Amino acid sequence: MAATLALSSSAFAAEQAMDLDTLLKQLEQGQSAQNAQNAQREAQFKAQQSEQVRMLRELTSNRDGELNRSERLETQFEENEIKLGNLSDTLSKRMGSLKELFGVLQQVAGDSSNKFRTSVVSAEIPNRSAFMDDMAKRMGSSTKLASIEDIEKVWVELQREMTEQGKVSRYTSDVIVAGGTKTQKEVLRVGAFNLIADGKYLSYNPETNTLSELTRQPTARFTQSAAELQSAQSGIVDFALDPTGGSILGLLVQAPNTKEQVEQGGAVGYVILGVGLLALLIALERFVSLMIMGAKINRQLKDSVAREDNPLGRVMKVKEQYPDVAYDTLELKLSEAILREMPKITRNLTLIKIISVVAPLLGLLGTVTGMINTFQAITLFGTGDPKLMAGGISTALVTTVLGLVVAIPTVFLYTLLNTRSRNLLLILQEQSAGIIAERSEKGA
Amino acid sequence: MVLLVDAINALREFLDTGGQVLLVIGLVTFLMWLLILERFMFVFGKFRTYRKDLLNSWSSREERNSWNAEQIRQAMISRAGIQLNSNLPYINVMVALCPLLGLLGTVTGMIEVFNVMAITGSGSARSMAAGVSKATIPTMAGMVGALSGVFASTFLQRKAKREVELLEDKLLLDH
Repeated sequence: MAATLALSSSAFAAEQAMDLDTLLKQLEQGQSAQNAQNAQREAQFKAQQSEQVRMLRELTSNRDGELNRSERLETQFEENEIKLGNLSDTLSKRMGSLKELFGVLQQVAGDSSNKFRTSVVSAEIPNRSAFMDDMAKRMGSSTKLASIEDIEKVWVELQREMTEQGKVSRYTSDVIVAGGTKTQKEVLRVGAFNLIADGKYLSYNPETNTLSELTRQPTARFTQSAAELQSAQSGIVDFALDPTGGSILGLLVQAPNTKEQVEQGGAVGYVILGVGLLALLIALERFVSLMIMGAKINRQLKDSVAREDNPLGRVMKVKEQYPDVAYDTLELKLSEAILREMPKITRNLTLIKIISVVAPLLGLLGTVTGMINTFQAITLFGTGDPKLMAGGISTALVTTVLGLVVAIPTVFLYTLLNTRSRNLLLILQEQSAGIIAERSEKGA
Repeated sequence: MVLLVDAINALREFLDTGGQVLLVIGLVTFLMWLLILERFMFVFGKFRTYRKDLLNSWSSREERNSWNAEQIRQAMISRAGIQLNSNLPYINVMVALCPLLGLLGTVTGMIEVFNVMAITGSGSARSMAAGVSKATIPTMAGMVGALSGVFASTFLQRKAKREVELLEDKLLLDH
């Protein structure tokens, strides 16, 4: 295949080489044709040149016309400017005090729009702030004039807000209750201050125009006054209102309640409470048993026969057991019997005493650990956030409170029990011998 | 009448600024003084007749020399001692409790201060003032309560001790 291609190309070259003369001839002919063409083109260009000159002339005259027009319009513009200035001067002169009025109108509309948006009155009468916003915007643009109707409407809306502030009104509305469900409820609005339903305080959300029950209600004293107001038909009812229109009640949700505060105490707090409970239980047991013991001793004092069921009786039994011993031996036997009774009377009292001393110490421990945590938080995050610091400190103080709350009653209980047991011991120690002596004298 | 209402209002305001602990301190102080008054009335009233009876019954005994007489004398003195010392521990413990309660009020007040700080996040003195007064007033009240009781309780304790010693001196044994 390649061989045939090479063969044919060499054949073609031979053919060309053979025709070099014809090529030369062809070239000569071509040159003469080129010359003819060039002459023709030259003629064509010459014809076009005159055409170009004509167009140039035309465009120049055009430009001159436009320049004239621009000059004319410019002077007209200047004239108009002057005219406009004069007219706006006249306008402002004629508007005069009206301009000030519109400024005031704009300001009032803007202010009251904000006020209406957050006011609880808007929960009952919505969409009041939209008109005020629109009004403020129109007054701000200064090209439009306020109509008498608009101005009167501003007045009416302000008057309405004022009137509603002094009213207690009832209406039904959707209320979001604690579970998140919407229910129709009779809502009571107290002026522009509070909204209540079912004796519970509500919070108003201006963004979504919804009412929801506060997740944490104020103390019973206040909710009770709300319930009373709701059930009242006429007359004057005491009611606790939030003069800030809900801000204070809103903060209430953040404040920890008693249970949460106890939880803030942490492990130390629970230890203190546990120890306190232990002391309370021991004290209760001691109290009951000392009372029973005291009652039995009192009965024994009146009874002539020594009984086995009380310490005094058991001590007195000693005399019966050793009827014929000498006095000094009897005294020894008696003090021996009293020593046997002593642990029963004073049992566990020291434990209560220890708890009453240990509880405040544990509280102090909790405070110090809490402070350490606070300062560690400060080292990590800096003192920039007082919330962080204050939260830690109040947590630390809770344990001190718990310690004191446990210690105070425990000290009191210890004194109570100690006095009782000491009186019983005195009866045994100092009086048992005397009682025996009195008996034997009477019997003799 | 108006004065009384004013006084009650002032008291209520004081209790409101000091918090509930103040009420407890007031109650404890009141109870303490009730007990102190009872003690004074006993020591200067009923106890005198009791002592006279005791001395009479001792001096009317035929013999004051035997073991029996000695033990009976001991029992008599012990009973008088119990009577003289009753309620004194309670007065003492209340004197001790008053400052503790004051401390409790202080700490709860401080917690309130820090709660306000934690919620508002600001150190505004005005918002913390309520907590601060709740913190300081109970301490003061506790101190006042304790100090008012200390003198009376000390006096009563010494009086009881001396009376017992006097009885021991007067109930003489014959030798």
